[in-house]
Amino acid sequence: VTISAVVLLVDDDPAIRDSLSKELRAAGYTTVTATNGVEGLAAVQSHAPDVILTDLAMPRSDGFELISALRASSAVPIVVLSVRGGDADKVRALDLGADDFVTKPFSVTELLARIRAQLRRTTTPPPTALSFHELTIDLERRRVVQGGREVRLTPTEFSLLELLATNAGKPMFIEQIIARVWRSAPGTTADTVRVHMSSLRKKIEPAPSEPRYIVTEPWVGYRFIAEPL
Amino acid sequence: MFPGKRVATWAAAIAAIALVTFIGRILGLNATTVGFVYLIVVVFVSVWGDLLVGTVSSVVATLCYNFFFFAPLYTLTIAEPANWFALAAFLISSVTVNRLVVTARTLAQKAEQRRNEIETLYALSVDLFAATNRVGALGEAAGRALQLLGARGGGLVVFAGSTYRQTVISWNGEKPDEIEDLIAGVGRHKEPLEFPSPLGRDVYLPLFVGGRTTGVLVARGTTASKRALESAARLVALAVEREHFIEENAHMQALRESEALKTSLLRAISHDLTTPITAVTIRTESLRRRADADRDLLDDVDAIAEETSRLRRRIDNLLAMARLEAGKSKPRREPTPPADLFRAARENLPLVFAARPVTVHVDADCPDANVDPSLALEILVNLLENAHRVSPPGAPVELVARRHPLDADKIRIEVLDRGPGVPPGVTDPTGNVAETTDVAQRGLGLEIARSLAAANGGSIGLAPRAGGGTVARIDFPAALLPVEEQA
Repeated sequence: VTISAVVLLVDDDPAIRDSLSKELRAAGYTTVTATNGVEGLAAVQSHAPDVILTDLAMPRSDGFELISALRASSAVPIVVLSVRGGDADKVRALDLGADDFVTKPFSVTELLARIRAQLRRTTTPPPTALSFHELTIDLERRRVVQGGREVRLTPTEFSLLELLATNAGKPMFIEQIIARVWRSAPGTTADTVRVHMSSLRKKIEPAPSEPRYIVTEPWVGYRFIAEPL
Repeated sequence: MFPGKRVATWAAAIAAIALVTFIGRILGLNATTVGFVYLIVVVFVSVWGDLLVGTVSSVVATLCYNFFFFAPLYTLTIAEPANWFALAAFLISSVTVNRLVVTARTLAQKAEQRRNEIETLYALSVDLFAATNRVGALGEAAGRALQLLGARGGGLVVFAGSTYRQTVISWNGEKPDEIEDLIAGVGRHKEPLEFPSPLGRDVYLPLFVGGRTTGVLVARGTTASKRALESAARLVALAVEREHFIEENAHMQALRESEALKTSLLRAISHDLTTPITAVTIRTESLRRRADADRDLLDDVDAIAEETSRLRRRIDNLLAMARLEAGKSKPRREPTPPADLFRAARENLPLVFAARPVTVHVDADCPDANVDPSLALEILVNLLENAHRVSPPGAPVELVARRHPLDADKIRIEVLDRGPGVPPGVTDPTGNVAETTDVAQRGLGLEIARSLAAANGGSIGLAPRAGGGTVARIDFPAALLPVEEQA
């Protein structure tokens, strides 16, 4: 983690802004706050944050507008703070270009893990090998080691794992997966992805009943968890 | 043709023939010239009169021609045989001309009537379809149509469900009681009915669209042709159907708008309730971080966290129920691996997982559940909370997912505890948690779980567990994978 990474927090509620800023500062981040999308956009220009946390429902200019405006010019990671029952909003925000979301009320520990994952994904140069807990993925030799033992994956399974792991912490849409792994081959459906994903998960998860690397993301697709709970 | 014109035509015909005869005699015109003039008279009589007056005029003219102009004069006998031919030719040509003229005129009249009717129908169709994008204009248009079709009374009656539940859209003139039965009969038999009446005919026309009769158009004392009336009935039938759709559409629009309102209201409530709880959660975590050494303070902070979590769960429950009630979240099902549900439950109830051992097991051959992931999570979390609440401290709770033992199209998720067992009266004899009004006895959590499971095409049940405790089971539809193709 970059020691003084700047986090921009956009939320219209002062209680959230104050309490969360305090926790973020305690975790070593520099924080900037804004109360709506317009202010948020201005703060991006003046403070060049490393990661943005934004609420969706805000007066004047909401989170969706902020995400659309930002994505026109910037790739800065955006984590959405959504509410329960806002599944459609969550999917829409991801579709507009948000990188991740947490559902209110979230735990600070969880949020910090999500922020670290975003920073790690965007600030380190593309590596030749990825390593998560007991899982090591050698991208050049296309080999996978889990718990000290090599796991044999089919080429499709490896491509799936590679796509998800290089985007660790970012929910990937089924459509994105089909486009990237299958190059949108005709006849590839969500069920095709399910079949291969199910067999990949059985191979790399140390305990398939308690997945720690790959989880489903309702109404989106799949997510690789950078830091297991 | 009215009687006065008839008399005038007869009089004119006789007068014209007499005049030609008189002038012919005075001027001493020859027979050939007089014959032509007689023919002209017959042609004119044919143009003005009907076939009968024309034919009689032909015969009378022939007799006069013979009597006054063919030798021997003033007798009906003819001396020269050649004159017989002349007279016969005159008779034949005058009768033929008369027939041709009358036929042509009748055809022209019919064409004119047909043209009028078509114009009327066109005006009617414009009335019915171009002008009425509002409800209620149908009656006015139907009344105008009957007027245009020359009906002296009648109107439009539509059926509301059965042929005896009649709604009068518009009516002109008197409406005796027996008309209701006649209308019902026409509606049932789907055939037009026609009676002679003092001023023309009374015609009952069923409005027939898509195999059912929606109403009856009644034209009393009409002279319009059957074809025109039936065309009008077809148009009115389509208009009735159209009006019906307009009404239905308006109704649907209103429903959609009220749903949109509920949805945005729910979203606002969700946001407003969740925000303070989020702030409390963050502050509690902050306190906890700083209370590391202080045992007493730590206990208090944990209690706050626990109560906050309970409050949050109740709000989640109520919002999930409200969303279902509002019809907003028609459950959006998708294949959901049970292991992911268990993992989400752990994220939702960190305190339960921290307070006691929770073991998790998914059979290797267990299919995915075909459920709405967020509703399924709500159900699972409710049952897990129940199990946690009734279990003695430190006793483990188990989560198990497997194929349904009997039904290959379902999966079964079980929550096993070591609590006091199934309370009496909560389940039916088969162990299912059935619908009840006695929510208090069962607890809100279980009732919500039951409703949500039902909305997901699943069911929940409680059974005593061997060795003490309860097995709570959720049966969900399975999302079976297609046969795996080789990569």
